Amino acid sequence: MTLPAKLSPEKLYRTCNPLEFSFNTTADIDGPVKATGQDRAFEAITFSMGIKQNGFNLFALGPNGTGKQTAIMHFLSNKAPGAAVPSDWCYVNNFEKPRHPKALKLPAGKASSLSRDMEHLLEALFTVIPAAFSSEEYQAQEKDIREKFQEKQAIAIEELEKKGAENHIALIRTPAGFAFAPEKEGEVLKPEEFMLLKKEERDSIEEKIIALKTAMQSIMAQIPKWQRETQEKIKELNRNIANFAIKPLIAELRNSYATLEEVTRYFETLENDIIENFDQFLEKEADPRELLIGISPGKFSQRSPMFNRYRVNIIVDNSSTKGAPIVYEDKPACQNLVGDIEHISQMGTLVTDFTLIKQGALHRANGGYLLIDARRLMVEPFAYEALKKALRTRQIRIESLAQMYSLVSTVSLEPEPIPLDIKVILLGERSLYYLLSVYDPDFSELFKVAADFEDELPSDIDGKFAYARIISSIVKKDNLHHFDRRAVARIVEQGSRLAEDATKLTAHIQSISDLVHESDYYATAAAREIVQAEDVQHAIDAKILRSSRIRKKIREATLRNSILIDTDSEKIGQINGLAIYSPGGQSFGHPGRITARVRLGKGDVIDIEREVEMGGPIHSKGVMILSGFLGARFAIDQPLSLSASLVFEQSYSGVEGDSASSAELYALLSAISGVPIGQWFAVTGSVNQYGQVQAIGGVNEKIEGFFDLCKARGLTGKQGVLIPVSNVENLMLRNDVVDAVRHGLFSIFPVTDVDEGIEILTGRQAGGLDKTGKYPPDTINGMAVARLNEMAEKLKKFTSSSDNANE
Amino acid sequence: MLERHQNTHIRHIAVALDCSPHSIASLTAAAELARLMHADLTGIFVEDINLLRMAELPFCHEVRMYSSETEKFDFSRLERSLKLQAKAAADALQRIAGQFMVNYSFRVYRGIVPAEVILAALDADLLVLGRSGRSPTCRKGLGSTAKKALAEGKKPVLFIQPGFSAREWTILVLYDGSEGSKQALEAALDMIQPGSTLNVLILGETHEESAKMERELSEIIKLPGSTLVYHHLPLKNEKSLLRYIRMINSGLLVLSDRMKISREIVHGLINEIDYPVLLV
Repeated sequence: MTLPAKLSPEKLYRTCNPLEFSFNTTADIDGPVKATGQDRAFEAITFSMGIKQNGFNLFALGPNGTGKQTAIMHFLSNKAPGAAVPSDWCYVNNFEKPRHPKALKLPAGKASSLSRDMEHLLEALFTVIPAAFSSEEYQAQEKDIREKFQEKQAIAIEELEKKGAENHIALIRTPAGFAFAPEKEGEVLKPEEFMLLKKEERDSIEEKIIALKTAMQSIMAQIPKWQRETQEKIKELNRNIANFAIKPLIAELRNSYATLEEVTRYFETLENDIIENFDQFLEKEADPRELLIGISPGKFSQRSPMFNRYRVNIIVDNSSTKGAPIVYEDKPACQNLVGDIEHISQMGTLVTDFTLIKQGALHRANGGYLLIDARRLMVEPFAYEALKKALRTRQIRIESLAQMYSLVSTVSLEPEPIPLDIKVILLGERSLYYLLSVYDPDFSELFKVAADFEDELPSDIDGKFAYARIISSIVKKDNLHHFDRRAVARIVEQGSRLAEDATKLTAHIQSISDLVHESDYYATAAAREIVQAEDVQHAIDAKILRSSRIRKKIREATLRNSILIDTDSEKIGQINGLAIYSPGGQSFGHPGRITARVRLGKGDVIDIEREVEMGGPIHSKGVMILSGFLGARFAIDQPLSLSASLVFEQSYSGVEGDSASSAELYALLSAISGVPIGQWFAVTGSVNQYGQVQAIGGVNEKIEGFFDLCKARGLTGKQGVLIPVSNVENLMLRNDVVDAVRHGLFSIFPVTDVDEGIEILTGRQAGGLDKTGKYPPDTINGMAVARLNEMAEKLKKFTSSSDNANE
Repeated sequence: MLERHQNTHIRHIAVALDCSPHSIASLTAAAELARLMHADLTGIFVEDINLLRMAELPFCHEVRMYSSETEKFDFSRLERSLKLQAKAAADALQRIAGQFMVNYSFRVYRGIVPAEVILAALDADLLVLGRSGRSPTCRKGLGSTAKKALAEGKKPVLFIQPGFSAREWTILVLYDGSEGSKQALEAALDMIQPGSTLNVLILGETHEESAKMERELSEIIKLPGSTLVYHHLPLKNEKSLLRYIRMINSGLLVLSDRMKISREIVHGLINEIDYPVLLV
């Protein structure tokens, strides 16, 4: 078998040639940032924003920090200005049903003029109405009505008084009413005088008094009716006077808004209400009792809340909007989306009116686009449901949450819903999109379009230029130092490293943005006007250093042999695997010792990690796969007569992933065959049941982790790492690793299958089946078969002797 | 020379009280006057003997004002009710006199109201009455006590109309050169306040006589700080007097019933006019 060659330094790191860039520094780059490599996502966005039907809202999915929001904002900023400016909306009082404020739709910019006009009207009413009601004409008419009532009452009583007087009966005012009594010369008869009269006279007086009393009773019964009539007449007079005073003002308003039917209808109800409540515009003195309990003396001033009923609450003012609005709601709480009804405390009671209706993001974005972070939306109570309801019903209905859930027991409002015409764009992680798709039946109805953003960009010239533009825009936006092209090239290289792929660049713009800011910091610290590649490297190294405490501790423990990692000798059944640690988002690799021991048994491979429940399911799966490989290779003709145990030595936390399965297999093969493995190697890669070595993640960190240990102990030239051949494209190794390889001090072997790997690790041929179907005896496989046969014999002997003993 | 001078005529003012709006207005005006004239104030309340007698008649019932129900009189309840009214009147007097810081006293009588009021006010220099009190008909014009005061010739008497304040009075005095009108003019000069206006309506037989009276008055009346305005109306036009007074639209009307115009016309004027009137 021809063993794979060590990887050349060129394969370990794909350099970005600064000469590929036509600019000297990012200051030379003009034009907007264009999202590159996101064609599929843009196709989805274009479709979603273009289609008019309901439910074609967009979910932009992809990892956070990949610039989804920026890309969509950029798209919309080109599209939205061409669209029609949506209408203004405002709430006004519903004079017939004050608990149901009325929504008025007005052309863009008209809401604020209506509000101004209403303020002016209010101002005018405070002049016009008092003037009308203090006029002599009104005073005279009112006095006349009141006097007529008095007159009517007086005439009726006077007639009765006269009738009584004709019969010497006096009408007398009592503390609570009236009474009749016989009189003589203006004085009521004394009882004894009365008793001196003849019986007929007494009876006659009594009869007359009863008749007068009855007549008086009927007059008294009529007085409330006369009072009512008088009140009606005064009301009618008031109405006429108020009507006469305000008619010209309302007519002027009507003319200004003649084309707006709803508004003119509102003016009609407004006019009636002002006429009915004209007295509130008449200046009154504040009640001193009210002053005592803290009510403002300006109760009857125009600014008083009493006059809110004539105000306009502008919910949407598009007077300065250009095209369709684009709104990003940073805190998509329920009330921030659909609006809210606020309350104010007045003498210990919570009160509200339509002027306390607060707009939400849906109002602001109505007729345009609303962007929301999906995760934030989900964590806000009731917000997602409220959004769905609005989209489903195509209207914004403001409901007080506190009222709905009985958190406050006070009078609230039910404002008229506002029709909704909007495109909602949710931005979120893929996992969230998939969860919503599965568990929420409404979701797929309302968010029919998914814009799936790529995690990576191709590392071609377009991708690299896209990076340059991004760097330039960050520099300009945040007023940083410009980057020279070598620095840009270094960031491009780091983009590949972050993408873990030499042919790709990460689309995680946030990481790039952070690196740009950090590089700028070091350039500033070094008093440089232009950020150079050294500054970028400094920033990368500093970031690694900042998070290197745990890595340093592990390495120290390894160098002091507290953690046993052999990088020098040869051992049977022992190998260096490579593990990734990711504390706090920073990953690093470190070798771990894997050992395998075999004994007589029934062919089972014991994964000690799994037995103690420290191994994850993928790791267990990897071990079972390698058992499958062993069975297929060595137990076709006879069962395996061994039991093997595998363990990650000195691991005190869980093990997950199958990237160590090839290493575990090598350790097993070594243990079975009895051929030692060179401990100057470390291995990574998963294995399938055919023995093919498969790609794993974090290859760069793993290699660097082993390299760092070897370097600390001294590079010998023998040391190296076996990686799956399919991971070669992922290599973007540190410069010191590449240099060591270049100088022959360290090696990286791309391995296709386990036979290649075991040959490199042991220096002995793996061995293939010959014509007789057997492995050559001096090969690993041959030695393994021989050992297995030997164990089978021993097991056989042991089994028969124990059977005999039992008999 | 006639000029504003320290009041020396009115040292004691009596006011009739019956808790009606007119009587409260009278009380306020009387207290204001007492303050202005440094006079004492006496409140007079009369328990109506007619009421008490009526309560003892077996067939007399009270017709309630706002329910039209009737109820038999209960003497003790009525008495109690009159006591309460008297107390309310006393309280009002105490409050208002305190407000204007005047000396006051309160007297309660029992009898026929108009007669008792006139009798009680005999020792007073001025009697202040509401134009109408608790008269049954609520009619316009004078109430029974006011009528009685007019009929008895009790003077000086001030008939008060609610809504007028003594401090803000502009005064209109009727002058025809008679003794009575001269007394009226003197009384007006007693009451005029600095800064206010004194209107003098001269009633002359002829234009020349009117002009002469004005000249004479101009020579003798000196009112620094106040405005003096003369108006003229021929005496033969006495029937249009009411209209003319309303046209001048002054506050307090001061006149006498011993003028060239007849007593009946003066009394008719007092009955009709809707301004406060001081009859001297």
